[in-house]
Amino acid sequence: MRLRTSLTLSSTFYYGLLTLLALAYLVPVAWVVSTSLRTNANLLRADQWIPDPITFEHYTSGLQDALPDLARYTFNTLRIAGLSTLGLLLSCSLAGYALARWRFPLRKVWFYGLLATMMVPGHVTLIPTYVLFRKLGWLNTPNPLIIPFFFGSPFATFFFRQFFLSFPRELEDAATLDGAGALRTFRSIVVPVSKPAFVALGVLHFTGMWNGFFLPIIYLQRKEQWVLTQAIRSLLGRYDSPWGEIMAGVVLMTVPIVILYILVQRHFVQGITFGGIHG
Amino acid sequence: MTILAPLRRGINMWREVNPRERRRWLTAYAFMSLQLIGLFVFILGPLVVSLYYTFTRWDLIAPAPKWVGLSNWEHVLGDPRIGQVLGNTVWFILWATSSFLILSLALAVLLNVPRRGTTLFRALFFLPYITSQVAVGLVWSWMFNTRSGPIPVFFRHLGIEVPNLLLDESYAMIAVAIVATWQALGYGITIYLAGLQGIPGELYDAASVDGATSWQRFRYVTLSLLSPTILFLTVTSFIAAFQLFDLVVILTGGATGVQPGGPGGSTRTIVLYLYEQTFLFSERVSGLGYGATIGWLLAVLIFIVTMTQFRFARGTVFYLGDDER
Repeated sequence: MRLRTSLTLSSTFYYGLLTLLALAYLVPVAWVVSTSLRTNANLLRADQWIPDPITFEHYTSGLQDALPDLARYTFNTLRIAGLSTLGLLLSCSLAGYALARWRFPLRKVWFYGLLATMMVPGHVTLIPTYVLFRKLGWLNTPNPLIIPFFFGSPFATFFFRQFFLSFPRELEDAATLDGAGALRTFRSIVVPVSKPAFVALGVLHFTGMWNGFFLPIIYLQRKEQWVLTQAIRSLLGRYDSPWGEIMAGVVLMTVPIVILYILVQRHFVQGITFGGIHG
Repeated sequence: MTILAPLRRGINMWREVNPRERRRWLTAYAFMSLQLIGLFVFILGPLVVSLYYTFTRWDLIAPAPKWVGLSNWEHVLGDPRIGQVLGNTVWFILWATSSFLILSLALAVLLNVPRRGTTLFRALFFLPYITSQVAVGLVWSWMFNTRSGPIPVFFRHLGIEVPNLLLDESYAMIAVAIVATWQALGYGITIYLAGLQGIPGELYDAASVDGATSWQRFRYVTLSLLSPTILFLTVTSFIAAFQLFDLVVILTGGATGVQPGGPGGSTRTIVLYLYEQTFLFSERVSGLGYGATIGWLLAVLIFIVTMTQFRFARGTVFYLGDDER
């Protein structure tokens, strides 16, 4: 029936409408790209959607002058996003697996405990953890944005539990009969077939850390520890801002994430819709 | 001693069970260990400590927090700033969640047809969602500028002069909500589409045979079967909207030296106020103590709103193939 109602809309009308909506929706994107390619003289020309002339100077010398340490900030961001993702996937897949597969004392207590803490906003625990990290001498180091993820996250653990519950355990039983230990069974049999879960969660978390701003401005105040969001934000001036460089920075910061999603999109859609509906 | 009951049961089980079973328990705990440490060190522990902080005054310079009893809580209830901040946040939530839930549903329905090219459109709508709020905020603060921003320029062509919405006290929060909705639509569309694809086509056929109009089919088939998805998105979007921070900071105070939350405090959110009270040295009430109190207030509000939503959902939300509920 869905088929029939939709076919009563003519193709031209349907695609025309969608294209119009998509174009309107993407005006800001076009505006960013357009601004980043204009010469400084044309920056404020509202009529120049297609820059004339086109220049790449904001991407090259412009950004180089405005943010000489861009490579450093990129490295900082990559390190935080990469290592914290690794930690999250490791700790939460193991815990989720144990919750899904084995019966052991207090299992329900831990499960419901984790479920209940999922609702606690990070802002409540923020201040004591800040005090803790300060005592450990971790302010202005990337540790506060990496280490906690090696110790799990209720949402991710729950996500993995749901995922492992949803597929059959016969394969593992066979491996266990062969005498393989639990960890080896997990690594060599469970992980390879759970790729969508690892990819979806990993990509979501990586993107969140790459794009993050709240935790960095709290923990990373010294300039050499900055991440990309802080660096680009610092370009805004009180009265005048280098908009060409800012827009070029926005484009450069977004492109790697877009590429990442294109590479993993098949697994990803499987993964988040799974988390969204069954989670 | 009901809290200890599971513990005692655990000890009894340990005594009675055979060694192989015991080994399995140890393995399970080894697998759980990182998450369990994290649960105590980074969630439960801080939760308790933060509750303790709400009864103290501390600026991190003094060696230890000073007990002040209920004064933070008394202050939070009488603080006119809290009233304003809550009002701003609720105003944002109303605009942002309603436009998000409705617009992404409309677009998902439009994209849920077996036609070529819909995947491309889905990807296009998803693009802003994976972009940083900082980047999105920078772009939109430039979009709203009255000299060359596309929005004022567009309206000028129609002969209407619009002010820079972000600089106008009565519109600034709505402008932030527009940006937040714009960014989140792609996520909503993706989740709605997954829900729509789970609706069996025969139901539409049956409804048509019974003479249902297309509006009735949408109302009674699509919306009913989509209600778990709608509930999920409603709950999660409210929780996210309560915690608005990054976008507001960039849109209203991106420049160094400009305090975010303006104009006239009209976009100061709960989390922004918490941040100011905890980490900025101007106008502080009691430093970390007051910050922790605002954090707890936020948690309690989120809890009440979420529970109310689930309560309301009982009897309204329809689960296919689940007659028990």
